[in-house]
Amino acid sequence: MLSRNVKRALLDSRWPLPPTFLLPWAATLTTVSHATEASNIPPPLVNASQHVSPERLERRHDQTSSNTSPAAAPTLQPANTSTPPALSESVRTLLPVLAAQGPHYITAHLYDRPYLLTAGDTVRLPFHMKNVEPGDVLRLNRASVLGSREYTLKAAAATPALKSPSMSSSLVLDDTTGSLESHSMVMPEPGVSSSGSRIMPPHFVPHIAAGKVSYLDERLFVCRAVVMGVESEPLRVKEKTKRRQRKIKKVKSKHRYTILRVKELRGPVCAAAQAMHTGLAHKDYGISSPPSHWSYAVRVSLSQIFAMPGPSYAPKNFVMSTS
Amino acid sequence: MPYLRITLLRSAIGLPKPTLGVLKALGLRKRLATVYHPVSPSVAGQVFRVKELVDVQEVEERLTREEMREWRRPESGFWVEKRVGGDRGGEGKILGQSVR
Repeated sequence: MLSRNVKRALLDSRWPLPPTFLLPWAATLTTVSHATEASNIPPPLVNASQHVSPERLERRHDQTSSNTSPAAAPTLQPANTSTPPALSESVRTLLPVLAAQGPHYITAHLYDRPYLLTAGDTVRLPFHMKNVEPGDVLRLNRASVLGSREYTLKAAAATPALKSPSMSSSLVLDDTTGSLESHSMVMPEPGVSSSGSRIMPPHFVPHIAAGKVSYLDERLFVCRAVVMGVESEPLRVKEKTKRRQRKIKKVKSKHRYTILRVKELRGPVCAAAQAMHTGLAHKDYGISSPPSHWSYAVRVSLSQIFAMPGPSYAPKNFVMSTS
Repeated sequence: MPYLRITLLRSAIGLPKPTLGVLKALGLRKRLATVYHPVSPSVAGQVFRVKELVDVQEVEERLTREEMREWRRPESGFWVEKRVGGDRGGEGKILGQSVR
């Protein structure tokens, strides 16, 4: 009863935001897709115990403005071995086109910092990576954007929430309580992803939620980088002293930075993406199987990566056609 | 036992001393600091005094400073596929990866 009175007391006085014209202009920009609200999620996914991670394909041409309206957000369940994700119509049609249009670029995130990379890039990280030696191969598995010259695959943005959700009975889009509207910040279960899954913190953390980026599914790309070595800056000496004080203290700084070289960037692995929903083709979703004119190389990689049961793909002439 | 998770979102620079006193009593020293207090009328009254500066959430359990720090720690974003010297010490754990 005490908590109920406290709740009522705290909720009565709302903390109002400033009016819209006083907010920063960028605050109103959002790539949040309203297709993932509770009413739009199909019933089988609403009852899913896992988190739903929506993904969206945004086509970027020279004519369109930067604020293109988002396409319908496909609902993507994070994979465990039993429920592969479902892709929407737009992603399925455009993903092969994106895959065919090489070379690709990726915005990989190391410790949540973005790096725009393509195959052959040399990256000087702003920190010294411990426990690695020159020659070690790293697999980068966090990316927010994967694109080619004309097409970009982005993960749907997180709901920008600077305040914790109110204690009302309605469902609130919150990215930390694990509700069914959770966005793609929630990583797939450990059974599939090679890295440990990130469990969301139990409580809402406003300053972390404000800057959060949502990531693509790991299986959509392959990005490998080699550790080239360690670089260090020139020796810096900072002199610390006060006025009318003759003693000068000198502090040396010589930071070290790890150099990586991106040796491979493959993506999107659309054969794998097709394989994800092939398993659902014969179930409730009625999605058609991958087209037969897909190239041999693509279909072989499908079976190698996922070891999917099904018809073996006989080698055919190497033909890559766009849908 | 329910707790109030109180986070200071606005800075207290330039505010009058009674308000600073309330923040000191709550234990909020810096912006974006978070404290947990058990729900009680006195704490609710303190929150009312600084309600424009603060974000409040009612939770069931309190997190320690170390636990909050672990939640804030970002993912590494990579894992080591192949090492030059082979597996070091025969350990099966993949280094360089933040495992939660």
